[in-house]
Amino acid sequence: MYDFAKFREAVLTGDAAAAVSLTRQALDGGVEPVDLISQGISPAMNEVGRLFEEGEYFVPELLISARATKAVFEILRPLLAKKGVQSAGRIVLGTVQGDLHDIGKNLVAAMLEGGGFEVTDLGINVAPERFIAAARDTQAQIIGLSALLTTTMPAMKTAIDAFREAGIRGRVKVMIGGAPITRSYAESIGADGYGENAAVSVDLARQLIGA
Amino acid sequence: MKQEQWETLVAVIRGETLRPLPTGFIIDCPWLPNWAGHAILDYFTDDRAYLADNLKAIDAFPSTIFLPGFWSEYGMCTEPSAFGAVPVWEENEFPFAKKVIRAPADVERLEKPNPRKEGLLPFVIKRLQHLEPEIEKAGHKIRFAVARGPLNIASFLMGTTEFLTAIKTDPERMRQLLAIVTDFLVDWIAFQRECFPSIDGVLLLDDIVGFVSKRDFETFGLPYLKRAFDTDVTIKFFHNDAPCKVCAPFLPEIGVNFLNFGVQHTLNEMKDWTGGKVALLGNVPPRDVLADGSPEDVRRCVTDLLSAVEDRSRLILSCGGGMPPGAPTRNIETFIATASELTR
Ligand code: B12
Repeated sequence: MYDFAKFREAVLTGDAAAAVSLTRQALDGGVEPVDLISQGISPAMNEVGRLFEEGEYFVPELLISARATKAVFEILRPLLAKKGVQSAGRIVLGTVQGDLHDIGKNLVAAMLEGGGFEVTDLGINVAPERFIAAARDTQAQIIGLSALLTTTMPAMKTAIDAFREAGIRGRVKVMIGGAPITRSYAESIGADGYGENAAVSVDLARQLIGA
Repeated sequence: MKQEQWETLVAVIRGETLRPLPTGFIIDCPWLPNWAGHAILDYFTDDRAYLADNLKAIDAFPSTIFLPGFWSEYGMCTEPSAFGAVPVWEENEFPFAKKVIRAPADVERLEKPNPRKEGLLPFVIKRLQHLEPEIEKAGHKIRFAVARGPLNIASFLMGTTEFLTAIKTDPERMRQLLAIVTDFLVDWIAFQRECFPSIDGVLLLDDIVGFVSKRDFETFGLPYLKRAFDTDVTIKFFHNDAPCKVCAPFLPEIGVNFLNFGVQHTLNEMKDWTGGKVALLGNVPPRDVLADGSPEDVRRCVTDLLSAVEDRSRLILSCGGGMPPGAPTRNIETFIATASELTR
């Protein structure tokens, strides 16, 4: 019997090397990649999210758990693809033009990755054209926009308008977030979803693509 | 800052309860240029606009204390520019700096910059020196040496996520990085003091300390903040509007005697966590109330703040963070008037 608890512990403590070697052991022992996700990564990242909400974990702890998850997914993805198992979805994420705040956006990326999504993180100060190019390259189903400044909130609308002009709006769902954003603002600029925090963004993304 | 305003600050910090309670706000590029009718880039590049905008704010709200007073920042670019980080300027956006450290190993090649010669630092100093006669003619003195704090600068150089990850994965190099940054900060503060003998306070702004655990703060925050603040001045002023619970109990040990914090905590909590030793500047919500609320919201919020705080010593009423972009005159006036009425 494979020791999922030990694997979860490696993710929880952000020990990427241990997580990778335990992944290899698991696969050698015949554990299915999907089971590693459902019994390992997902519960571990949910726990990380809970510890963060409760103030036990801080941003660095969350970031290294996400890093461990990412390293494991690098091993699992090709295997899953071979078996015809799709990722939870493909998302392009970034902080909009003029804004350099990225702590919250990176937590969102971490939780989405933990939830099995393939995330292409474009970083900060991202112009609409870069979102469009990345969405095309990765065939993204969702584009996630983050803004922390009231002065850069309008850049979200500019981006959504640009997606429409580029002809990709019909193919991608847009979800937005950041401290000054509200649900009604999201509706008013024609976004498909609003996520209040990193934990809910995973469910939101699932809902948006009907996964 | 006027002499009497400085004396007010010092009195509050020493524990006197003044009537009415003073109000004060950190002002800089996010609010001032647009409020005064200038584009942000004009404010940074035109010394006349810089002086006029500061004087205009002081004249418009004469009974409040603008902090740190004639502060020649270049947004988030000032210190990073000395390390070679490219500043990014748009006509009316807040400037920021591009990263220079791609991987933790790059720290090995990082050199301590010379604040007298490098990046935008000579510009910061010269601008203030050129304007000093007029600043003094208007009755003000330059009182504070100002810089971003060590974790904040390290984050600009590497990227915040990269830095916060590397304190876990490459702690030795991150300590090396913080040591270089702090050595530089010590020189930078000393240089500012040398150029302006009227300086008797230091303001460090560092939100990144708000994102780490107690253990990490003790390793990556405490020793560096202690060193950076280790200079003989009357006011040691710290700004962190991210979570402040972890660092608060350490502030007296760091030497901090004046704190601007965010809206995550109440004034009573902060008093408790700092052992009542640190004067507080806070903490009406800047964005949601002072900028986006109505005058009635501001009035209600100031009233609630005052009725919740039992001990009004070591308190200057303000918002929880710097003055936010777009805060309208009417809201600021209402804030000041309400505070004065209720604490007479
Ligand atoms: C940390 C911080 C900084 C750091 C940023 C470091 C970094 N790399 O991110 C630094 C010091 C660099 C900084 C810079 C500035 N800042 Co700042 N900053 C903050 C601060 C203190 C915390 C923000 C934060 O990280 N919160 C923690 C994270 C976890 O929360 P979050 O971002 O809200 O994210 C969560 C949710 O919103 C959601 N979410 C976020 N994005 C997304 C995206 C999607 C798709 C979804 C679904 C969900 C989602 O999930 C996240 C996790 O749960 C806030 C004040 C505050 N307390 O909020 C000011 C604040 C945002 N900053 C402010 C300002 C003004 C600035 C500057 C302009 C200041 C200056 N002098 O230049 C510059 C910006 C320059 C620029 N061009 O962008 C103002 C903005 C006011 C306004 N009207 O908008 C604030 C509100 C402070 C204030 N005085 O009021 N800042």
